[in-house]
Amino acid sequence: MKATDLSKPAGFARQIKAVLVSLLILGGLSAAQAAQDQGGLIAQGKYLAEIGDCVACHTPQGGRELSGGLPFETPFGIVYSTNITSDKETGIGYYSYRDFYRAMHEGISPNGNLYPAMPYTSYHLLTDADTRALYAYFMNTKPIRQENKASEISFPFNIRMGLKAWNMMNHEDSEFIANPAKSDSWNRGSYLVNVLGHCGECHTPRNTTFAMKPEAHFQGAVLDTFEASNITPQELNRQNWTHEDLKQLFTKGYSRKGTVFGGMYPVVYHSYSHLTEQDMRAVTSYLLDNEADIEELPLAFNGHDKDAPGYNIYMGYCAGCHGQDGEGRPNVAPALAGNATLDRSSVFNAVSLLLNGIVSQHYNSTTSFYAMPGYAEKFDDQQLTDLVNYMRITWTGQKADIRVTEVNDIRTNMKQALH
Amino acid sequence: MSQQIQMTVNDQQVGPVDVPEGLKMIEFLHEYLNLTGTKFGCGAGVCHACTVIVEGKNGVSEVVRTCISGVERFADKKVRTVEGHAKRNAAGEITELTPVQMAFLEHFSFQCGWCTSGFINETTALMERLAKAPVATANVEQVIEEALKEHICRCTGYVKYYQGVKDLILNTKGLTY
Ligand code: FES
Ligand code: FES
Repeated sequence: MKATDLSKPAGFARQIKAVLVSLLILGGLSAAQAAQDQGGLIAQGKYLAEIGDCVACHTPQGGRELSGGLPFETPFGIVYSTNITSDKETGIGYYSYRDFYRAMHEGISPNGNLYPAMPYTSYHLLTDADTRALYAYFMNTKPIRQENKASEISFPFNIRMGLKAWNMMNHEDSEFIANPAKSDSWNRGSYLVNVLGHCGECHTPRNTTFAMKPEAHFQGAVLDTFEASNITPQELNRQNWTHEDLKQLFTKGYSRKGTVFGGMYPVVYHSYSHLTEQDMRAVTSYLLDNEADIEELPLAFNGHDKDAPGYNIYMGYCAGCHGQDGEGRPNVAPALAGNATLDRSSVFNAVSLLLNGIVSQHYNSTTSFYAMPGYAEKFDDQQLTDLVNYMRITWTGQKADIRVTEVNDIRTNMKQALH
Repeated sequence: MSQQIQMTVNDQQVGPVDVPEGLKMIEFLHEYLNLTGTKFGCGAGVCHACTVIVEGKNGVSEVVRTCISGVERFADKKVRTVEGHAKRNAAGEITELTPVQMAFLEHFSFQCGWCTSGFINETTALMERLAKAPVATANVEQVIEEALKEHICRCTGYVKYYQGVKDLILNTKGLTY
Protein backbone atom coordinates (compact mmCIF):
# COMPACT_ATOMS: atom_id res chain seq x y z
CA MET A 1 0.00 0.00 0.00
CA LYS A 2 1.51 3.36 -0.93
CA ALA A 3 -0.21 5.09 1.96
CA THR A 4 -3.45 4.70 3.82
CA ASP A 5 -5.58 6.50 1.35
CA LEU A 6 -3.74 6.56 -1.92
CA SER A 7 -4.14 4.34 -4.96
CA LYS A 8 -5.39 4.02 -8.59
CA PRO A 9 -3.80 5.93 -11.44
CA ALA A 10 -5.78 8.96 -12.54
CA GLY A 11 -7.60 8.19 -15.76
CA PHE A 12 -6.74 10.38 -18.69
CA ALA A 13 -10.28 9.97 -20.00
CA ARG A 14 -11.61 11.35 -16.72
CA GLN A 15 -9.50 14.47 -17.10
CA ILE A 16 -10.62 14.99 -20.69
CA LYS A 17 -14.19 14.67 -19.54
CA ALA A 18 -13.60 17.22 -16.82
CA VAL A 19 -12.12 19.67 -19.34
CA LEU A 20 -15.03 19.20 -21.72
CA VAL A 21 -17.58 19.61 -18.97
CA SER A 22 -15.97 22.79 -17.75
CA LEU A 23 -15.75 24.15 -21.30
CA LEU A 24 -19.42 23.43 -21.84
CA ILE A 25 -20.32 25.09 -18.61
CA LEU A 26 -18.15 28.10 -19.32
CA GLY A 27 -19.64 28.42 -22.81
CA GLY A 28 -23.05 28.87 -21.29
CA LEU A 29 -22.11 31.64 -18.91
CA SER A 30 -22.06 35.36 -19.42
CA ALA A 31 -18.65 37.03 -19.68
CA ALA A 32 -19.20 38.82 -16.36
CA GLN A 33 -20.12 35.65 -14.59
CA ALA A 34 -17.05 33.94 -16.06
CA ALA A 35 -14.81 36.75 -14.86
CA GLN A 36 -16.29 36.52 -11.40
CA ASP A 37 -15.77 32.77 -11.35
CA GLN A 38 -12.23 33.21 -12.57
CA GLY A 39 -11.65 35.67 -9.72
CA GLY A 40 -12.96 33.13 -7.24
CA LEU A 41 -10.82 30.42 -8.76
CA ILE A 42 -7.69 32.56 -8.52
CA ALA A 43 -8.43 33.38 -4.90
CA GLN A 44 -8.95 29.72 -4.14
CA GLY A 45 -5.70 28.88 -5.92
CA LYS A 46 -3.87 31.52 -3.93
CA TYR A 47 -5.08 29.97 -0.67
CA LEU A 48 -4.09 26.51 -1.84
CA ALA A 49 -0.66 27.75 -2.92
CA GLU A 50 -0.19 29.26 0.53
CA ILE A 51 -1.07 26.01 2.25
CA GLY A 52 1.19 24.21 -0.21
CA ASP A 53 3.99 26.53 0.96
CA CYS A 54 5.25 27.27 -2.56
CA VAL A 55 6.70 30.60 -1.46
CA ALA A 56 9.10 29.11 1.09
CA CYS A 57 10.95 27.04 -1.49
CA HIS A 58 10.56 29.21 -4.55
CA THR A 59 11.73 32.52 -3.09
CA PRO A 60 15.43 33.32 -2.96
CA GLN A 61 16.88 34.80 0.23
CA GLY A 62 15.91 38.45 0.15
CA GLY A 63 14.52 38.02 -3.36
CA ARG A 64 11.12 38.31 -5.00
CA GLU A 65 8.36 35.88 -4.21
CA LEU A 66 8.12 32.77 -6.37
CA SER A 67 11.00 33.79 -8.63
CA GLY A 68 13.06 30.71 -7.66
CA GLY A 69 16.77 30.29 -7.08
CA LEU A 70 16.76 29.04 -3.49
CA PRO A 71 19.46 26.37 -3.16
CA PHE A 72 18.66 22.91 -1.76
CA GLU A 73 21.44 20.69 -0.58
CA THR A 74 20.74 17.10 -1.53
CA PRO A 75 23.00 14.12 -0.99
CA PHE A 76 23.93 14.42 -4.68
CA GLY A 77 24.61 18.12 -4.97
CA ILE A 78 22.73 21.41 -5.04
CA VAL A 79 19.43 21.92 -6.82
CA TYR A 80 17.86 25.34 -7.17
CA SER A 81 14.15 25.96 -7.05
CA THR A 82 12.75 27.40 -10.25
CA ASN A 83 10.92 30.53 -11.24
CA ILE A 84 7.21 29.73 -10.95
CA THR A 85 5.83 33.19 -11.64
CA SER A 86 3.72 33.71 -14.75
CA ASP A 87 6.66 35.09 -16.75
CA LYS A 88 6.38 33.48 -20.16
CA GLU A 89 10.09 33.08 -20.84
CA THR A 90 11.75 32.37 -17.51
CA GLY A 91 8.74 31.31 -15.44
CA ILE A 92 5.85 28.96 -16.07
CA GLY A 93 3.60 31.43 -17.92
CA TYR A 94 3.80 29.34 -21.07
CA TYR A 95 2.54 26.16 -19.36
CA SER A 96 -0.71 24.75 -20.65
CA TYR A 97 -2.99 23.30 -18.02
CA ARG A 98 -1.82 19.89 -19.10
CA ASP A 99 1.84 20.92 -18.58
CA PHE A 100 1.00 22.21 -15.13
CA TYR A 101 -0.98 19.11 -14.25
CA ARG A 102 1.89 16.83 -15.26
CA ALA A 103 4.42 18.87 -13.27
CA MET A 104 2.26 18.74 -10.14
CA HIS A 105 1.12 15.15 -10.46
CA GLU A 106 3.86 13.34 -12.31
CA GLY A 107 6.94 15.47 -11.73
CA ILE A 108 7.38 16.08 -15.45
CA SER A 109 7.76 19.62 -16.74
CA PRO A 110 7.88 20.59 -20.43
CA ASN A 111 11.69 20.64 -19.97
CA GLY A 112 11.94 17.15 -18.55
CA ASN A 113 11.69 15.37 -15.24
CA LEU A 114 11.68 17.42 -12.05
CA TYR A 115 13.85 16.50 -9.13
CA PRO A 116 11.78 15.01 -6.31
CA ALA A 117 12.85 17.97 -4.16
CA MET A 118 9.66 19.34 -5.70
CA PRO A 119 7.11 17.36 -3.67
CA TYR A 120 5.07 16.00 -6.56
CA THR A 121 5.21 12.73 -4.65
CA SER A 122 2.69 14.45 -2.33
CA TYR A 123 1.03 16.92 -4.69
CA HIS A 124 -0.02 14.21 -7.10
CA LEU A 125 -3.02 13.52 -4.88
CA LEU A 126 -4.42 17.00 -5.55
CA THR A 127 -7.92 16.93 -6.92
CA ASP A 128 -8.40 18.10 -10.47
CA ALA A 129 -10.48 21.05 -9.23
CA ASP A 130 -7.70 22.18 -6.88
CA THR A 131 -5.06 21.73 -9.56
CA ARG A 132 -7.15 23.99 -11.81
CA ALA A 133 -7.46 26.61 -9.10
CA LEU A 134 -3.70 26.54 -8.56
CA TYR A 135 -3.16 26.86 -12.30
CA ALA A 136 -5.48 29.86 -12.46
CA TYR A 137 -3.57 31.47 -9.61
CA PHE A 138 -0.08 30.85 -10.98
CA MET A 139 -1.02 32.09 -14.44
CA ASN A 140 -2.13 35.31 -12.79
CA THR A 141 0.87 35.92 -10.54
CA LYS A 142 3.03 38.92 -11.28
CA PRO A 143 5.49 37.87 -13.97
CA ILE A 144 9.09 38.21 -12.83
CA ARG A 145 11.89 37.77 -15.30
CA GLN A 146 14.57 35.67 -13.70
CA GLU A 147 16.51 32.91 -15.39
CA ASN A 148 16.65 29.59 -13.60
CA LYS A 149 19.95 28.43 -12.18
CA ALA A 150 21.47 25.18 -13.40
CA SER A 151 21.66 22.53 -10.71
CA GLU A 152 25.01 21.33 -9.41
CA ILE A 153 24.24 17.65 -9.23
CA SER A 154 27.06 15.16 -9.49
CA PHE A 155 27.29 12.39 -12.07
CA PRO A 156 25.36 10.10 -12.53
CA PHE A 157 22.49 11.78 -10.71
CA ASN A 158 22.66 14.74 -13.08
CA ILE A 159 21.19 12.60 -15.82
CA ARG A 160 17.55 13.42 -15.67
CA MET A 161 16.73 10.13 -17.35
CA GLY A 162 17.63 8.57 -14.01
CA LEU A 163 14.62 10.35 -12.57
CA LYS A 164 12.42 8.38 -14.92
CA ALA A 165 13.69 5.21 -13.32
CA TRP A 166 13.21 6.75 -9.87
CA ASN A 167 9.64 7.62 -10.74
CA MET A 168 8.97 4.13 -12.04
CA MET A 169 10.25 2.70 -8.80
CA ASN A 170 8.82 5.19 -6.34
CA HIS A 171 6.03 7.18 -7.86
CA GLU A 172 2.63 6.52 -9.20
CA ASP A 173 0.10 9.23 -9.95
CA SER A 174 -2.96 8.29 -7.98
CA GLU A 175 -5.93 10.04 -6.51
CA PHE A 176 -6.80 10.98 -2.98
CA ILE A 177 -9.22 8.48 -1.52
CA ALA A 178 -11.17 9.58 1.49
CA ASN A 179 -11.31 7.19 4.39
CA PRO A 180 -15.02 6.30 4.70
CA ALA A 181 -14.62 5.35 8.35
CA LYS A 182 -13.64 8.93 9.21
CA SER A 183 -15.49 12.25 9.15
CA ASP A 184 -15.35 14.83 6.38
CA SER A 185 -13.30 17.09 8.61
CA TRP A 186 -10.73 14.38 9.33
CA ASN A 187 -10.48 13.62 5.62
CA ARG A 188 -10.09 17.29 4.78
CA GLY A 189 -7.28 17.39 7.35
CA SER A 190 -5.64 14.38 5.79
CA TYR A 191 -5.81 16.04 2.39
CA LEU A 192 -4.35 19.30 3.68
CA VAL A 193 -1.59 17.61 5.67
CA ASN A 194 -0.57 14.86 3.30
CA VAL A 195 -1.18 16.50 -0.05
CA LEU A 196 -0.90 20.27 0.04
CA GLY A 197 1.06 20.53 3.27
CA HIS A 198 3.32 17.69 2.05
CA CYS A 199 4.30 17.15 5.69
CA GLY A 200 5.41 13.60 5.00
CA GLU A 201 8.26 14.84 2.82
CA CYS A 202 10.13 15.89 5.97
CA HIS A 203 8.44 13.92 8.72
CA THR A 204 8.58 10.49 7.13
CA PRO A 205 11.84 8.55 7.05
CA ARG A 206 13.15 7.59 3.61
CA ASN A 207 14.39 4.32 2.23
CA THR A 208 17.66 3.69 0.41
CA THR A 209 16.35 5.23 -2.80
CA PHE A 210 15.23 8.33 -0.84
CA ALA A 211 11.54 7.61 -1.22
CA MET A 212 9.24 8.01 1.78
CA LYS A 213 8.70 4.77 3.68
CA PRO A 214 4.91 4.36 3.79
CA GLU A 215 5.13 1.96 6.71
CA ALA A 216 6.87 4.64 8.79
CA HIS A 217 4.46 7.44 7.89
CA PHE A 218 5.16 10.56 10.02
CA GLN A 219 7.53 8.79 12.39
CA GLY A 220 10.18 11.50 12.06
CA ALA A 221 13.40 11.85 10.08
CA VAL A 222 16.73 13.62 10.46
CA LEU A 223 17.36 16.42 7.97
CA ASP A 224 20.90 17.76 8.33
CA THR A 225 21.05 19.34 11.77
CA PHE A 226 17.48 18.81 12.94
CA GLU A 227 15.06 15.99 13.18
CA ALA A 228 11.58 16.56 11.81
CA SER A 229 9.67 15.16 14.77
CA ASN A 230 7.51 12.12 15.05
CA ILE A 231 4.05 13.54 14.38
CA THR A 232 2.03 10.36 14.55
CA PRO A 233 -1.19 10.64 16.58
CA GLN A 234 0.28 8.20 19.11
CA GLU A 235 3.23 10.46 19.83
CA LEU A 236 1.28 13.73 19.78
CA ASN A 237 -1.32 12.30 22.14
CA ARG A 238 1.34 10.87 24.43
CA GLN A 239 2.78 14.36 24.74
CA ASN A 240 -0.69 15.76 25.46
CA TRP A 241 -0.88 18.08 22.48
CA THR A 242 -4.35 19.62 22.37
CA HIS A 243 -6.11 21.10 19.34
CA GLU A 244 -5.40 24.52 20.78
CA ASP A 245 -1.68 23.76 21.26
CA LEU A 246 -1.30 22.74 17.62
CA LYS A 247 -3.32 25.71 16.47
CA GLN A 248 -1.09 28.04 18.46
CA LEU A 249 2.02 26.40 17.06
CA PHE A 250 0.80 26.59 13.47
CA THR A 251 -0.48 30.14 13.63
CA LYS A 252 2.00 31.78 15.98
CA GLY A 253 5.03 29.50 15.81
CA TYR A 254 4.95 28.78 19.51
CA SER A 255 2.75 27.10 22.07
CA ARG A 256 3.03 26.00 25.67
CA LYS A 257 4.95 23.00 24.31
CA GLY A 258 7.71 25.04 22.69
CA THR A 259 8.51 26.90 19.48
CA VAL A 260 9.09 25.69 15.96
CA PHE A 261 12.62 25.99 14.57
CA GLY A 262 14.66 25.12 11.52
CA GLY A 263 12.66 24.27 8.40
CA MET A 264 9.33 24.47 10.24
CA TYR A 265 9.64 28.20 10.78
CA PRO A 266 8.98 29.19 7.14
CA VAL A 267 6.15 26.64 7.01
CA VAL A 268 4.35 28.43 9.82
CA TYR A 269 5.23 31.86 8.56
CA HIS A 270 4.24 31.43 4.92
CA SER A 271 1.79 28.61 5.06
CA TYR A 272 0.00 27.19 8.06
CA SER A 273 -0.67 30.55 9.68
CA HIS A 274 -3.02 31.19 6.72
CA LEU A 275 -5.29 28.22 7.36
CA THR A 276 -8.95 29.08 7.86
CA GLU A 277 -10.43 28.25 11.24
CA GLN A 278 -12.29 25.30 9.80
CA ASP A 279 -9.30 23.91 7.94
CA MET A 280 -7.14 24.33 11.03
CA ARG A 281 -9.53 22.20 13.05
CA ALA A 282 -9.52 19.64 10.24
CA VAL A 283 -5.71 19.55 10.31
CA THR A 284 -5.48 19.18 14.08
CA SER A 285 -8.26 16.56 14.10
CA TYR A 286 -6.35 14.54 11.54
CA LEU A 287 -2.97 14.88 13.25
CA LEU A 288 -4.37 13.98 16.66
CA ASP A 289 -6.79 11.45 15.15
CA ASN A 290 -9.35 12.88 17.51
CA GLU A 291 -12.14 15.35 16.87
CA ALA A 292 -13.22 15.80 20.43
CA ASP A 293 -11.60 18.38 22.68
CA ILE A 294 -8.57 17.09 24.57
CA GLU A 295 -8.03 17.87 28.22
CA GLU A 296 -4.93 19.98 28.83
CA LEU A 297 -2.83 18.30 31.51
CA PRO A 298 -0.46 20.37 33.68
CA LEU A 299 3.09 20.73 32.33
CA ALA A 300 5.65 18.49 33.99
CA PHE A 301 7.97 19.97 36.59
CA ASN A 302 9.39 17.28 38.84
CA GLY A 303 11.43 19.62 41.04
CA HIS A 304 15.17 20.21 41.11
CA ASP A 305 17.60 17.54 42.18
CA LYS A 306 20.62 19.53 43.26
CA ASP A 307 22.82 16.48 43.42
CA ALA A 308 22.20 15.47 39.82
CA PRO A 309 25.24 16.24 37.67
CA GLY A 310 23.43 18.56 35.23
CA TYR A 311 21.97 20.83 37.90
CA ASN A 312 24.82 23.33 38.08
CA ILE A 313 25.16 23.51 34.32
CA TYR A 314 21.47 24.26 33.98
CA MET A 315 21.53 26.94 36.64
CA GLY A 316 24.72 28.50 35.30
CA TYR A 317 23.95 28.50 31.60
CA CYS A 318 20.26 28.01 30.93
CA ALA A 319 18.16 29.27 33.84
CA GLY A 320 18.81 32.92 32.97
CA CYS A 321 16.63 32.65 29.88
CA HIS A 322 14.57 29.49 30.37
CA GLY A 323 13.74 30.31 33.97
CA GLN A 324 14.87 28.81 37.22
CA ASP A 325 12.00 26.36 37.17
CA GLY A 326 11.94 26.02 33.40
CA GLU A 327 9.03 28.42 33.07
CA GLY A 328 10.57 30.33 30.14
CA ARG A 329 10.28 34.04 29.51
CA PRO A 330 7.88 35.72 27.09
CA ASN A 331 9.67 37.06 24.03
CA VAL A 332 12.96 35.56 25.14
CA ALA A 333 12.90 31.79 25.51
CA PRO A 334 10.27 29.03 25.53
CA ALA A 335 9.42 27.07 28.66
CA LEU A 336 11.09 23.73 29.25
CA ALA A 337 8.26 22.34 31.34
CA GLY A 338 6.32 20.17 28.93
CA ASN A 339 8.69 21.08 26.12
CA ALA A 340 8.11 18.74 23.20
CA THR A 341 11.77 18.72 22.14
CA LEU A 342 12.81 17.33 25.51
CA ASP A 343 9.85 15.03 25.85
CA ARG A 344 10.69 12.68 23.00
CA SER A 345 12.37 9.34 22.99
CA SER A 346 14.97 10.71 20.54
CA VAL A 347 17.37 13.28 22.01
CA PHE A 348 18.65 14.27 18.60
CA ASN A 349 17.07 17.73 18.57
CA ALA A 350 17.86 18.51 22.20
CA VAL A 351 21.55 17.77 21.61
CA SER A 352 21.61 19.37 18.21
CA LEU A 353 20.07 22.61 19.52
CA LEU A 354 22.59 22.74 22.34
CA LEU A 355 25.45 22.23 19.90
CA ASN A 356 24.29 24.63 17.20
CA GLY A 357 21.96 27.08 18.92
CA ILE A 358 18.90 28.59 17.26
CA VAL A 359 18.70 31.80 15.27
CA SER A 360 16.30 34.42 16.59
CA GLN A 361 12.75 34.00 15.40
CA HIS A 362 10.17 36.62 14.70
CA TYR A 363 6.52 35.57 14.58
CA ASN A 364 4.41 38.68 14.64
CA SER A 365 4.63 42.27 15.72
CA THR A 366 4.43 41.37 19.38
CA THR A 367 6.21 38.04 19.55
CA SER A 368 9.80 37.04 18.89
CA PHE A 369 12.28 34.73 20.53
CA TYR A 370 15.93 35.56 21.04
CA ALA A 371 18.71 33.62 19.46
CA MET A 372 20.15 30.80 21.54
CA PRO A 373 23.91 30.42 21.35
CA GLY A 374 25.45 27.08 20.39
CA TYR A 375 27.53 25.37 23.07
CA ALA A 376 29.56 23.01 20.90
CA GLU A 377 32.83 24.58 22.02
CA LYS A 378 31.75 25.12 25.58
CA PHE A 379 30.48 21.71 26.67
CA ASP A 380 32.16 18.38 26.22
CA ASP A 381 30.10 15.27 25.60
CA GLN A 382 29.88 14.40 29.28
CA GLN A 383 28.57 17.85 30.21
CA LEU A 384 26.04 17.77 27.38
CA THR A 385 24.87 14.34 28.47
CA ASP A 386 24.49 15.51 32.06
CA LEU A 387 22.58 18.58 30.98
CA VAL A 388 20.17 16.78 28.65
CA ASN A 389 19.54 14.06 31.21
CA TYR A 390 18.94 16.70 33.85
CA MET A 391 16.43 18.56 31.73
CA ARG A 392 14.61 15.36 30.84
CA ILE A 393 14.16 14.12 34.39
CA THR A 394 13.23 17.59 35.59
CA TRP A 395 10.66 18.55 32.94
CA THR A 396 9.39 15.40 31.27
CA GLY A 397 8.43 11.86 32.14
CA GLN A 398 11.52 10.58 30.30
CA LYS A 399 14.36 8.85 32.09
CA ALA A 400 17.92 10.12 32.54
CA ASP A 401 19.24 7.31 30.40
CA ILE A 402 21.08 9.14 27.64
CA ARG A 403 24.65 7.90 27.32
CA VAL A 404 27.76 9.85 26.39
CA THR A 405 28.26 7.70 23.31
CA GLU A 406 24.88 8.77 21.94
CA VAL A 407 25.75 12.42 22.37
CA ASN A 408 29.12 11.82 20.78
CA ASP A 409 27.46 10.15 17.78
CA ILE A 410 25.16 13.12 17.27
CA ARG A 411 28.08 15.54 17.52
CA THR A 412 30.08 13.55 15.00
CA ASN A 413 27.19 13.28 12.53
CA MET A 414 26.53 16.97 12.94
CA LYS A 415 30.08 17.87 11.98
CA GLN A 416 29.64 15.86 8.82
CA ALA A 417 26.27 17.42 8.06
CA LEU A 418 27.71 20.91 8.44
CA HIS A 419 30.61 20.27 6.08
CA MET B 1 17.78 25.89 49.41
CA SER B 2 21.28 27.24 49.25
CA GLN B 3 24.65 26.18 48.01
CA GLN B 4 28.27 27.05 48.63
CA ILE B 5 30.17 28.91 46.00
CA GLN B 6 33.66 30.30 45.67
CA MET B 7 35.60 32.11 42.98
CA THR B 8 38.21 34.78 42.42
CA VAL B 9 36.94 38.25 41.60
CA ASN B 10 39.42 40.93 40.61
CA ASP B 11 42.24 38.86 42.11
CA GLN B 12 40.46 38.54 45.46
CA GLN B 13 39.33 35.20 46.76
CA VAL B 14 35.57 35.22 47.39
CA GLY B 15 33.83 32.59 49.51
CA PRO B 16 33.09 29.85 50.12
CA VAL B 17 29.80 31.62 50.69
CA ASP B 18 26.23 30.35 50.93
CA VAL B 19 24.05 31.64 48.14
CA PRO B 20 20.42 30.85 47.37
CA GLU B 21 19.44 28.66 44.47
CA GLY B 22 18.95 30.49 41.21
CA LEU B 23 21.09 33.50 42.10
CA LYS B 24 22.27 35.34 39.00
CA MET B 25 25.85 36.48 38.79
CA ILE B 26 24.88 40.13 38.47
CA GLU B 27 22.96 39.90 41.76
CA PHE B 28 25.93 38.23 43.37
CA LEU B 29 28.22 41.04 42.25
CA HIS B 30 25.82 43.75 43.40
CA GLU B 31 24.38 42.30 46.57
CA TYR B 32 27.17 40.19 47.99
CA LEU B 33 30.33 41.91 46.78
CA ASN B 34 29.04 45.48 46.42
CA LEU B 35 30.53 45.65 42.94
CA THR B 36 27.91 47.80 41.25
CA GLY B 37 29.98 48.84 38.23
CA THR B 38 28.47 45.96 36.27
CA LYS B 39 25.21 47.34 34.96
CA PHE B 40 21.87 45.64 34.54
CA GLY B 41 20.23 46.70 31.27
CA CYS B 42 17.81 44.38 29.54
CA GLY B 43 18.16 41.46 31.91
CA ALA B 44 17.70 39.15 28.96
CA GLY B 45 21.12 38.75 27.43
CA VAL B 46 20.57 41.24 24.65
CA CYS B 47 22.28 44.53 25.52
CA HIS B 48 25.55 43.13 26.89
CA ALA B 49 25.79 45.92 29.46
CA CYS B 50 26.35 43.32 32.19
CA THR B 51 29.36 41.67 30.51
CA VAL B 52 32.31 40.57 32.66
CA ILE B 53 35.55 38.79 31.80
CA VAL B 54 36.22 35.20 32.81
CA GLU B 55 39.58 33.59 32.41
CA GLY B 56 38.91 30.68 30.16
CA LYS B 57 40.86 27.65 29.07
CA ASN B 58 44.51 28.16 28.02
CA GLY B 59 44.59 31.65 29.49
CA VAL B 60 42.23 32.99 26.81
CA SER B 61 39.64 35.30 28.30
CA GLU B 62 36.00 35.05 27.46
CA VAL B 63 33.22 37.52 28.04
CA VAL B 64 30.06 36.43 29.81
CA ARG B 65 26.73 38.18 30.37
CA THR B 66 25.95 38.08 34.06
CA CYS B 67 22.23 38.83 33.85
CA ILE B 68 21.45 35.48 32.27
CA SER B 69 24.15 33.46 33.97
CA GLY B 70 23.71 31.72 37.26
CA VAL B 71 26.45 32.13 39.83
CA GLU B 72 27.28 28.41 39.36
CA ARG B 73 28.79 29.21 36.01
CA PHE B 74 31.55 31.15 37.75
CA ALA B 75 32.33 28.66 40.49
CA ASP B 76 36.12 28.26 40.93
CA LYS B 77 36.76 30.65 38.03
CA LYS B 78 38.74 33.88 37.80
CA VAL B 79 36.44 36.80 37.09
CA ARG B 80 37.27 40.41 36.20
CA THR B 81 34.73 43.22 36.48
CA VAL B 82 35.10 46.86 35.54
CA GLU B 83 36.33 47.60 39.09
CA GLY B 84 39.34 45.36 38.49
CA HIS B 85 41.00 47.26 35.67
CA ALA B 86 42.53 50.50 36.98
CA LYS B 87 45.62 50.45 39.20
CA ARG B 88 45.10 51.45 42.81
CA ASN B 89 47.37 52.46 45.62
CA ALA B 90 47.46 50.89 49.07
CA ALA B 91 44.61 53.13 50.17
CA GLY B 92 42.47 51.83 47.35
CA GLU B 93 42.57 55.07 45.39
CA ILE B 94 42.81 54.89 41.62
CA THR B 95 46.24 55.90 40.38
CA GLU B 96 46.18 54.88 36.77
CA LEU B 97 43.54 53.91 34.19
CA THR B 98 44.08 51.20 31.61
CA PRO B 99 44.68 52.19 27.97
CA VAL B 100 41.14 51.06 27.15
CA GLN B 101 39.63 53.30 29.79
CA MET B 102 41.84 56.19 28.65
CA ALA B 103 40.83 55.68 25.02
CA PHE B 104 37.13 55.98 25.86
CA LEU B 105 37.77 59.06 27.99
CA GLU B 106 39.85 60.75 25.32
CA HIS B 107 37.25 60.08 22.65
CA PHE B 108 34.32 61.17 24.81
CA SER B 109 32.89 57.78 23.94
CA PHE B 110 30.22 57.46 26.59
CA GLN B 111 27.42 59.71 27.65
CA CYS B 112 25.30 58.31 30.48
CA GLY B 113 27.84 55.56 31.03
CA TRP B 114 25.38 52.71 31.54
CA CYS B 115 26.84 50.58 28.77
CA THR B 116 30.44 51.55 29.45
CA SER B 117 31.62 48.77 31.70
CA GLY B 118 30.40 46.25 29.15
CA PHE B 119 32.31 48.02 26.38
CA ILE B 120 35.42 48.20 28.55
CA ASN B 121 35.38 44.51 29.35
CA GLU B 122 34.67 43.43 25.80
CA THR B 123 37.41 45.70 24.43
CA THR B 124 39.89 44.54 27.05
CA ALA B 125 39.23 40.92 26.14
CA LEU B 126 39.60 41.83 22.48
CA MET B 127 42.97 43.52 23.09
CA GLU B 128 44.20 40.44 24.94
CA ARG B 129 43.07 38.22 22.12
CA LEU B 130 44.80 40.37 19.52
CA ALA B 131 48.02 40.34 21.55
CA LYS B 132 48.00 36.56 21.16
CA ALA B 133 46.77 36.55 17.55
CA PRO B 134 47.38 39.85 15.73
CA VAL B 135 45.25 40.81 12.73
CA ALA B 136 46.04 42.56 9.46
CA THR B 137 45.64 46.33 9.73
CA ALA B 138 43.11 46.22 6.93
CA ASN B 139 40.86 43.96 9.01
CA VAL B 140 40.83 46.00 12.20
CA GLU B 141 37.44 47.59 11.61
CA GLN B 142 35.87 44.26 10.88
CA VAL B 143 37.36 42.71 14.02
CA ILE B 144 36.02 45.57 16.14
CA GLU B 145 32.63 45.28 14.55
CA GLU B 146 32.49 41.57 15.31
CA ALA B 147 33.55 42.03 18.90
CA LEU B 148 31.36 45.00 19.79
CA LYS B 149 28.34 44.72 17.57
CA GLU B 150 26.12 43.13 20.23
CA HIS B 151 26.73 45.94 22.71
CA ILE B 152 23.86 48.35 22.83
CA CYS B 153 24.38 51.97 23.79
CA ARG B 154 21.07 53.68 24.32
CA CYS B 155 22.77 57.06 24.08
CA THR B 156 23.98 55.92 20.65
CA GLY B 157 27.66 56.57 21.28
CA TYR B 158 28.71 53.89 18.84
CA VAL B 159 30.86 56.01 16.53
CA LYS B 160 33.01 57.31 19.34
CA TYR B 161 33.33 53.93 20.97
CA TYR B 162 34.38 52.28 17.71
CA GLN B 163 36.73 55.14 16.88
CA GLY B 164 38.35 54.93 20.31
CA VAL B 165 38.92 51.18 19.99
CA LYS B 166 40.28 51.54 16.47
CA ASP B 167 42.82 54.20 17.47
CA LEU B 168 43.86 52.16 20.46
CA ILE B 169 44.42 48.97 18.49
CA LEU B 170 46.31 50.71 15.70
CA ASN B 171 48.52 52.52 18.21
CA THR B 172 49.30 49.52 20.38
CA LYS B 173 52.34 47.55 19.31
CA GLY B 174 51.89 43.90 18.43
CA LEU B 175 48.16 43.82 17.81
CA THR B 176 48.28 44.30 14.05
CA TYR B 177 50.62 43.56 11.20
S1 FES C 1 21.66 43.28 31.16
FE1 FES C 1 22.76 41.53 30.62
S2 FES C 1 22.70 41.58 28.50
FE2 FES C 1 21.47 43.25 29.03
S1 FES D 1 26.46 55.83 27.13
FE1 FES D 1 24.42 55.69 27.73
S2 FES D 1 23.91 53.73 27.14
FE2 FES D 1 25.80 53.95 26.29
